[in-house]
Amino acid sequence: MEKRESLWEAYLRRGFSRRSFLKGCVALTSLMGFSTDMFSKVVEAAENKPLPVVIWIHGHECTGCDESFIRSGAPLASDVVLSSIALEYDHLLSAACGAPFEAHLDETIAKYNGQYILCVEGAIATKDSGVYCMSGGHTFTHLLEKAAKGAAAIIAYGSCSAYGGIQAAKPNPTGSAGIERFVGGKPVVKVPGCPPIPEVMTGVVMHVALFGTIPPVDGDGRPKQFYGNRIHDTCYRRPFFDAGMFAETFDDAGAKAGWCLYKLGCRGPETYNSCGNLRWWQGMSYPIQSGAPCIGCSNSNFWDEDPFTARLPQYGKLGDADKIGVGLGVLTAAGVVGHAVASIVQRNSRENLIDDEHHD
Amino acid sequence: MAIKSVKEVKRKEFYIFSPFLRIFHWIMASQIVILFATGLLITKPMNVAITEPVFSITSMDLVRDIHFTSAFILCASLILRIYGFIINKGDRLFPRVWEGHFYEETVDVALHYMLIRPHHASFLRNPLARGSYAALYVLLAIEILTGFAMYFMTNPSSTGGMLFGWVNVLVGSEMMSHYIHHYVAWFIILFAIGHLYMVIRAEFMEGESEISSMFSGKKILAHNPKDANELD
Repeated sequence: MEKRESLWEAYLRRGFSRRSFLKGCVALTSLMGFSTDMFSKVVEAAENKPLPVVIWIHGHECTGCDESFIRSGAPLASDVVLSSIALEYDHLLSAACGAPFEAHLDETIAKYNGQYILCVEGAIATKDSGVYCMSGGHTFTHLLEKAAKGAAAIIAYGSCSAYGGIQAAKPNPTGSAGIERFVGGKPVVKVPGCPPIPEVMTGVVMHVALFGTIPPVDGDGRPKQFYGNRIHDTCYRRPFFDAGMFAETFDDAGAKAGWCLYKLGCRGPETYNSCGNLRWWQGMSYPIQSGAPCIGCSNSNFWDEDPFTARLPQYGKLGDADKIGVGLGVLTAAGVVGHAVASIVQRNSRENLIDDEHHD
Repeated sequence: MAIKSVKEVKRKEFYIFSPFLRIFHWIMASQIVILFATGLLITKPMNVAITEPVFSITSMDLVRDIHFTSAFILCASLILRIYGFIINKGDRLFPRVWEGHFYEETVDVALHYMLIRPHHASFLRNPLARGSYAALYVLLAIEILTGFAMYFMTNPSSTGGMLFGWVNVLVGSEMMSHYIHHYVAWFIILFAIGHLYMVIRAEFMEGESEISSMFSGKKILAHNPKDANELD
């Protein structure tokens, strides 16, 4: 593709009406989390901006993020891949394979140097020179460093590329880590989640594609429009939390009635994501709605914060911190009583000694 | 004839604690009790036996509001502590770790408390107590930092979120802030048990107005304390 067409040109080529183009822009505006004030800017960008070249690479991961991505309903993932971006290289979605495929990657990197968007799924395996994750005969670290050098923007999809992912759980045998330290200081937009919500994935890449800038991000590099709120603060079960109505077990009346899952270890109060407002599969449901407490899959280190079904970690037979705390409290109180008795005994014997001396 | 239970003893009065420190102390003590009780209830809330949220007297919400109000009162009262710290030398009884004798004296006091030595030298505040209060302030600081880090992140781009959000990043995740907040609360309670015992013990064994000093600001000592120079 020599001349890269814009979204509007792509619509024209396919014979779509101006009306359906504008409707598409309305959908995009709301998807990217903008107010309608931004609509004219979205239209302008969609008319003029050439479709961005995207290189999408996969590292140490399960490709679950792609499974999520291809189920995006608005915009349809196929629309994004086939008409909204120019996806030049993708480990999972490309039909090509082998040496020509790898050569195409090098060509793309050279041809669009400094212009392409790099999407990364999967963590870096840092241990033993990175041999635990190989891609095209090289370590994934090598591929990432090569592709990151000429990237205009880098998007880290999924908790693996953002924070290391489940394979980074203790003892982390492969030294799995987020990609941030391996991209030569370039800013990384983190789109964490295991997997991220499909519409969030498409929304972020569309933002970068249309405006050529990364979306507004928080201190951790996550787009504010999707990760600006806790699930707890957007959860439809929040009134049950405030009222003090909790499911105590997975099969009690509270669970059946759809009460708050806080006591079953729900991580909603610590998790930043759009599950509460966007939900999954075009707003059909999300984990809490289906009665499963949130496990905080878009949080750094969520994999080591087990058990997912309790508020506090358990220490075997000792129980949780509260049980241990009560035990230590009782022990301290007992120690204090013992010390008091011993102190009095010591004082009395000392005074007797002094008295004896006086008598002599 | 002298009454047997009346003895004439020569004692010296030392004015140590400013009223600001004393007021702060009692605010802190009361708020720690409230914060600990409500904190436990927030981790493991009671289940109200109702069928509709509208019938609730907003139990969890109420408990959390009490916790937050109490936390703000405690933080506000720190202003008293800081003011007293500035104007009064007796409010500044640091563990003087930079002075060599601190360590010998610590060992001396520790041996006494282990009942190996019959007594220790007289202090306005002994080095072990100094160390333990310094540790308490560290624990308090951790509670305040992790507490606000959780509280303000309702809106991460708010001023409070900006001021305290880094704590969650530093400890690894927001859940970790919850854990640390909860665990440190237990350590503060263990400190409180020990503290309560030690002041009662001091009163009981020495009778040197250890408890009343936190009301009157004065200690009435029979011996000349080694650290009396710190009040000049």
